[in-house]
Amino acid sequence: MAEIQKVVVVGGGTMGQGIAELLASKGFDTYLLEKSIEDAQCALHHIELSLDKELSKWGITRAEKRATLSRVHITDDPTIMSDADFVIESVYECLQTKQQILELFDELSRPEVILASNTSTLSLTEIAAFTRRPDKVIGLHFVHPVPKIPLVEVVRGLKTSSETVKNVFDFLSYLELEGVEVYESPGFVTTRLITMLINEALYTLMEGVATATDIDRAMKFGFQFKVGPLEMADRFGLDSVLAAMERLYREFGDPKFRPCPILKKMVRAGQLGVKTEEGFFLYDEDGDRIEVNQEVVSG
Amino acid sequence: MKVLVINCGSSSIKYQLFEMEDETVLASGLVEKIGAEAAIITHEVADREEEVITGEILDHREGINRVLRLLIRPDGGVIKDEKEVAAVGHRVVHGGEYFAESAIITREVRTAIRKTIDLAPLHNPPNLLGIDAAQAQLPSAVHVAVFDTAFHQSMPEYAYMYPLPRILYQKHRVRRYGFHGTSHQYVAQRAAVFLGKPLEELRLISCHIGNGASLTAIQYGKSVDTSMGMTPLEGLMMGTRCGDIDPAIVPYVIAKEELTLAEVKSMMNKHSGLMGVSGFSGDMREVTEAMFDGNKQAKLAIDMYVYRLKKMIGSYLAIMNGADALIFTAGVGENASSIRQKACENMSFLGISLDLEENAKRCKKERVVSAADSKVKVLVLPTNEELMIAREAKELV
Repeated sequence: MAEIQKVVVVGGGTMGQGIAELLASKGFDTYLLEKSIEDAQCALHHIELSLDKELSKWGITRAEKRATLSRVHITDDPTIMSDADFVIESVYECLQTKQQILELFDELSRPEVILASNTSTLSLTEIAAFTRRPDKVIGLHFVHPVPKIPLVEVVRGLKTSSETVKNVFDFLSYLELEGVEVYESPGFVTTRLITMLINEALYTLMEGVATATDIDRAMKFGFQFKVGPLEMADRFGLDSVLAAMERLYREFGDPKFRPCPILKKMVRAGQLGVKTEEGFFLYDEDGDRIEVNQEVVSG
Repeated sequence: MKVLVINCGSSSIKYQLFEMEDETVLASGLVEKIGAEAAIITHEVADREEEVITGEILDHREGINRVLRLLIRPDGGVIKDEKEVAAVGHRVVHGGEYFAESAIITREVRTAIRKTIDLAPLHNPPNLLGIDAAQAQLPSAVHVAVFDTAFHQSMPEYAYMYPLPRILYQKHRVRRYGFHGTSHQYVAQRAAVFLGKPLEELRLISCHIGNGASLTAIQYGKSVDTSMGMTPLEGLMMGTRCGDIDPAIVPYVIAKEELTLAEVKSMMNKHSGLMGVSGFSGDMREVTEAMFDGNKQAKLAIDMYVYRLKKMIGSYLAIMNGADALIFTAGVGENASSIRQKACENMSFLGISLDLEENAKRCKKERVVSAADSKVKVLVLPTNEELMIAREAKELV
C-alpha cells in the first residue's frame, strides 16, 4: 500500500468529528466531507471546541491546536474522494445512505484505496457488497471520545482480504491506536458489553436500588471506572444507547437485550444527555457536569 | 578527511559536512517536512548565499539522497562523489546503559539502539531511520553513533540510582541517564584548552541552558552527576518543562483535574517552566523583556528560574568540594547575561564573583566573565555538538 497522507472522512457527526480530529492531530491531511458546507462548518466548529477543551487541560499547546486545525479541510464535494489515500465513512447508520457513499467511493477513488466503515449496527459484508472491491472494505469501530480512547475494533467482513487487514493495522500504528480484530456480530465486543452494563444500571435505578449518583459512584470507585454507567450513557447520547439496545434485542432476539423503559421515556422527553445538557445528570454547554437531576433520580 | 554529521527528527534531517583537516564546515543545512508534499531544504555553503529548495520528499532515505546530490552536484557542490565522505556521525539521543562512548554502527549496535526505544520513544525511532537511510546511501562510509547519554555513563551508582524499589531498575532500567552529553563534553574539553590545564586535573560545572537545560558536574574529565534524569524532564526549570517538583503533585493533580496520563505529561513538558509561570511564553528573551516592562509574573518566573539554577550550581560545588570553572553554554547560557549575573550573585563565599562589565558584553567568542580574584573561573563557551560528533566519528575511522 502506498504511503497514506490524505484521508477523507465522510460524515461530520460526533464520531466523524472525533476521527477527523485524531487524524489531523497525528499529521494526516484530513478532508471532512459533509452534505452541505454549513454542516461541515458546524463539524469544524465542534472540532475546534474539542481542541480548546484539550488545550485547557494542558493536553496540547496553542501551536499544536493551530497545526491540527490547519490539517482539517472541510468540503461538500464528493469528488475529493478521487484524491484520497484512505477513506473512512461515518455517516448516519442507514443502509441507503451508506449505499450512496459506497457507490460514490467506488466510482471516484483509486482502485487500491481502502474504505473503512465506522458502522456498529449494519452488516459490513452487506455494505461491502455495494462496491466492486469488497476485499478493500473493512470496519473500524471507534469509541467515543475518539481522540482520547486509544482503541478501535477492526471488523472483518466476509470478503475483506488479509492484506487489507494488515495495511489497516499498519495505519492504526501511526494513529497510536490499539486494534482489536473482531468478527462481524451485532455490537462487536465494546458496544455489546457496555450497553448491557448501562441497561442493567437503568433497571437498578428504576427499581430504586440506589440513586443515579450512587450507582455511578459505586461503579466508579468499586471498579475504577472513569465515569459511572449513567454518566457514560449521557455522554454517548441516550438516543444512541437506545438505538444500540434495540438493535441488539432485534438481532439476537434475546430478552436480556430488552431496553429499559426508563431509557425510552427519557429519549421521548428529549433528554438525550450531554448534547441536550440534560440526561441522568445536568451538564453545562462545555459538557461538564453541574448537579444531579433530582427529578429523574426520584422518578 | 570529510565527515558528515546527521541529526534526524521524525520529519527532519539536520546535517553538516566537515573537512576534518582544519575542522571547517563545508556545507550545512536542514531538511524539513519529510513525508509532506512540500518538504523544504535549506542548504548553506560557506561564502555563498543560502538556498531554499522545496519539493516532495517522501522519506528519510530520499531526504539524505537529496542532500548528497546537493553536496555532489557539478555546479556549486563541495565534493566530487560520495566516496569522499569517509565517515557519517549520527546523533542518537538515548544509548541506555549499552553505550558509554560512541560506537561504529554494526548490526549489534543497531539492535542495542532499538532496545532503548522505550526510553526515548520520540527520539530514537527517527534516529534509527536516519541511520538506515544514510547507510543505504553511503555504503562505503563508516557510520558512527554518538549518544547524548554516553558521557554520563561514568556517574557513580549512588548518583544515578533513584531511591525507589530496586526491582524497577532491574526490570525497567529506571535510573538517571542524563542528556546533552555531547555538549557538556565539548565545553569541558574547550575549558581545558582555554584554561591551559589538562582536563584530568579540573573540576568543572557546565550549564547547558537552552530551551531544555541541564547541569553537569565534571570531575577530572568525567561526568559525576547531571541534573536531567531518566527523561529530560528532571532538574532545572526550563522554557516549558517544570524540572524538579514533588512527585506527589502528579497523582494529586490527575485526580483533581481529571487528567489523562497524556495530558499530565503534556502539562509538565509543554505548559510548565517559564511558560507556565509567566502565563504567556517559554522564551527567555520574551519573558525577560516583559519583566523589564514591569510584568510581575514574568519577574517571578525568572526569579524562580535563576533560584533553581543557583541551587543546582551550589549542590555541584558541594559534591566536588568546589570547582575550577563554571561554564555557561547554549542559547540562554551564551546570550542571557542577566541570567548569568543573577545566578552568580552573592556567591563569593563559594568562590564565584563576576566581572559585571565583561559579563554584560555581547560576544560570540569563548571568554572569561569572572572577576580577576574569583576562585572559580566563570566561562562562556559556545557549544558545538555537530563538531563534537564529527570528531568522535573521525576518531573511530
